[in-house]
Amino acid sequence: MDDSTKRILQRLMRRIPSQMLQTMLGKWAHLSREDLHSLDFTQPKWVLTEHLLALCEENGLRVKHITELEMIYIIENPNQGMWHGFQLLDAEEDAPSIELTQFKKQFKANLTELISNVSIKIKKHTDEAIWIRVAWGDNFTKPNHLKPTYVVHHLQTPYVFVTGLTSKYKPLLNQALVLATRYGSMKDAHLSGRNLTAIRDLLMRQYQQVFPTKNPKPLQEKNPVPRNPNIEKEHAENTENRLQIACEAFGDGTLPQLQKAVYKLETKFRDNSNKTLTGREEPFRGVVEFASTNLLESLRHCVSSGMASTPVTPLLSSITQKGRNYFVITDKGV
Amino acid sequence: MSLLKPFSKLPGLNTANILLVENEEQFQQKLADTVVLQEKTVNVNVRLARSLPLPMENEESRPRIDLVVFIIHLTSELSFQSAETSLKYLDPGYFQGKVCFLVTSARNVSVPPERLVSVRTLAASLHCPLLCAEDQTTEGVTTAARRLLAILKVAAGLVPMATGLYLSTLTRCTVPSDIDQQNFE
Repeated sequence: MDDSTKRILQRLMRRIPSQMLQTMLGKWAHLSREDLHSLDFTQPKWVLTEHLLALCEENGLRVKHITELEMIYIIENPNQGMWHGFQLLDAEEDAPSIELTQFKKQFKANLTELISNVSIKIKKHTDEAIWIRVAWGDNFTKPNHLKPTYVVHHLQTPYVFVTGLTSKYKPLLNQALVLATRYGSMKDAHLSGRNLTAIRDLLMRQYQQVFPTKNPKPLQEKNPVPRNPNIEKEHAENTENRLQIACEAFGDGTLPQLQKAVYKLETKFRDNSNKTLTGREEPFRGVVEFASTNLLESLRHCVSSGMASTPVTPLLSSITQKGRNYFVITDKGV
Repeated sequence: MSLLKPFSKLPGLNTANILLVENEEQFQQKLADTVVLQEKTVNVNVRLARSLPLPMENEESRPRIDLVVFIIHLTSELSFQSAETSLKYLDPGYFQGKVCFLVTSARNVSVPPERLVSVRTLAASLHCPLLCAEDQTTEGVTTAARRLLAILKVAAGLVPMATGLYLSTLTRCTVPSDIDQQNFE
């Protein structure tokens, strides 16, 4: 094993938390049972790494095996790094009938044609998602395994999720994906976040949605919470209405975890008390950013507790309705 | 204007009704549960509201309110402003011992001291008592509930020889500048 491979393995071992190490190595299946048993997981990690390096040397494992381990780890823990959503447009006739082997062949062929030194690994996960790991290299350098790009695509859907992609290789990846999935083009869905499951749920509408109804009262069969007859709320109807409107705009139950919503303003400055800025022709550029550990949950709470007035402004509700969290607002509209 | 009037309805037998007004609608629920649990001899009804004016739909079913308590969280400016605007919807008859201010987080270091001073000036100008409550622990909630019940029973006329007006002259809030400064040289 040469130095760069050793470094990759060491880096990976540092990245995987100690609790998950045993399960990951078990799933990897490149070490024999005896080898796996010989590893003592109670030792400090650096001792374990040395031991593992020795075992890998013995078994003659190479870079492609190590990257498999990395891929297993990332698939199990996808909620790290920054994921970006993309949408495929202009489906051709046979786009819905693409199946796995065809996609794999096409994608690998396309990408290696565009750039010769790439390392591609494709794997299908249990929940019908295709995971692709790409390590990029130049005409003169070997693929860089320390900065791979991961791509997740659900077949038969027009959505692609990418992390770790630099702008240099973006057009290449775009082209390869578009050709392999038989679509016309790929555009940025303007949705990004740390949590892959959240972005996927939001874009594919897999969270619990609430639709407007005429009679929002719950069914009579449900047992109501025993309320103290001496306590009565004056604004009970108002509260229920607000909760209903909040859930209609943002969803019910557990919401996808978004971290940010960014609104880039390119509108003219409008404030009569400030004469110097108001009269100008060019737009007043500003950026409004909402940040939170769980943005949709906070927004829903703002609306249901009355902090934000109802009806919910379309600027906020379009986060869920359109599945985006980056908006450019001009004077003509969003 | 839909003012809340103190004497427009008949009182109930051995009953006292309290209205808790709070913009955040958080503390009032805990307080209501404790108040109802604490009191064994008198039938206490608690009405919870976010602000005044109260909705017209409940006008018929609403009993006579004996005590209106404004809960102000000092950590939020909005809380104070909402209470101030709600005051306009009270009939002046309430300010003779049937209104009380309850303030939380008065000991909190991050709260600007001017806010407490403005609440005190407001309470002093209206001749109402100002209570400080601790809303994070059960003992704090119980203490606040007991104090409110004491004032409530007087305001509802259930304590012989005491009226709300009489009690309020004893318990009304004073602002530090009212007190004689000459004691401190």
